[in-house]
Amino acid sequence: MISWFEAIGIRVERLCLQVGIYPMLLLQVIQRLSRPPWFFSNILSQCEKVGVQSLPVVLLTAISTGMVLALQSWVGFHRFGAESMVSTVVSLSMVRELGPVLVGLMVAGRVGASFSAELGTMRVSEQIDALWTLSTDPIRYLIIPRVIAATLMMPLLVILADVIGIFGGYLVSVLVLNQNPQVYIEHATQFLELQDLYSGLLKAFVFGGIIGLVSCREGFYCKGGAQGVGIATTRAVVLSAISILIADYFLTIWIFQ
Amino acid sequence: MRDAKIQVCHLSKQFDDKIILDDVNLKVMPGESHIVIGLSGTGKSVLLKCILGLLQADSGEVLVDGEEWCCLSESERLKRMRNIGMVFQGSALFDSLPVWKNVAFVLRRQGIKKKEARDRAQEVLEKVGLPNACDKMPAELSGGMAKRVGLARAICHRPSIIFYDEPLSGLDPVMSDVITHLMRELHEEMQVTSLTIAHNMKLVRAFGDQVSMLYQGRIHLQTPGSELDSQDDPIFRQFIEGRANGPLDTNNLIIKGESK
Repeated sequence: MISWFEAIGIRVERLCLQVGIYPMLLLQVIQRLSRPPWFFSNILSQCEKVGVQSLPVVLLTAISTGMVLALQSWVGFHRFGAESMVSTVVSLSMVRELGPVLVGLMVAGRVGASFSAELGTMRVSEQIDALWTLSTDPIRYLIIPRVIAATLMMPLLVILADVIGIFGGYLVSVLVLNQNPQVYIEHATQFLELQDLYSGLLKAFVFGGIIGLVSCREGFYCKGGAQGVGIATTRAVVLSAISILIADYFLTIWIFQ
Repeated sequence: MRDAKIQVCHLSKQFDDKIILDDVNLKVMPGESHIVIGLSGTGKSVLLKCILGLLQADSGEVLVDGEEWCCLSESERLKRMRNIGMVFQGSALFDSLPVWKNVAFVLRRQGIKKKEARDRAQEVLEKVGLPNACDKMPAELSGGMAKRVGLARAICHRPSIIFYDEPLSGLDPVMSDVITHLMRELHEEMQVTSLTIAHNMKLVRAFGDQVSMLYQGRIHLQTPGSELDSQDDPIFRQFIEGRANGPLDTNNLIIKGESK
């Protein structure tokens, strides 16, 4: 009986340690942000990696989502003669929900895996230890630029994804479903409020932070060799995606209640 | 009597239930080349990482220049690291940076201008026999070249202490000899203190002023490098002669330590 409780205790302790390391890392990042050095060149190169290099996959996801959403919602609205509302559904869905979440998931897959694999490889090849011995704090040099880049680039990617998604809906509505382009544009913007835009951007900001923090933590504290890097990369993507979905629910409650 | 440059007092470290270092005591005097030998998996690299603060020791003290390192904050320790150079077993060069940026990494961090840092890196690379490697990427280097770049990176900022973690691992005999001579030359030219982890007896004989053997978590024996062959401890003799048969317990070794 005692060993049974002991086993539960050990698992709970491990879980607490695994979960607790995220706020600890966030705290370390925030503490270091207040004092130099800030490694601006690293931040810029990571911004390029997260922002510019993610554009193709993010825009492709956005345009296809906007197009499919227009088609699907047209089918529903056509049943009660409200086809003109298609653009409203597309714009509201993209801006409030689909933009941030889909971009978040795509960036988690692309960038999160890259962060984690890169840091994991640096860990197992002793490059992170080498940074210490070269009087450089690896959290400042490696983690902070990545977290900042992911946090800043996500809202920008989401803005582009929103615009391209709504444009995708426009293409389908006007070219395939023969809707009036003027009506599409009018209805797409008429019911859109600033709060919708802000909430989407806030979500993007938070999701960016989650991706940066989770994937850096997984790579940075990776153990073992090639297998360890593989495990860390998988965990980074899965945990980032799950965290984004959970955070999305609570942010939605908080913003729209 | 002179103070030790590096002093390890009663250092202990264990991973889970496995004791790796058990009350290790070690002194490295200024200007001395001290080599720690021992079987693979006896905890030599763990000892080095504990000294450098890359691993947290469970107990004991590490004094560098008379200053207690275990009590220093991370930022204080990072400042002290400017006096230290480290050559890693696998070179640990930064893949994303060209050779000269690897070598001049600390100089750039110290705010030295790009041109000056590059010139200094070029100078050090020439010293280690790689005058044309400046713009190469680490992936383009052979094992021996990477090792020399690692050495150049360790000495570029003119440290007073250099740590070597198995500097000859994975090198052919000729390249091992080249690196050994280079280490000796640099040691004499720069008048640094060095602590080396090694099993290569040729290196130990050529480079060790003092040799300590780590066995079963403790310093089993310490001797001047010149008196290696006059030691009659059976465990030590078996190791330096590289014999399979003898009193050395080869079944009770540890796993590799993980850094923080």
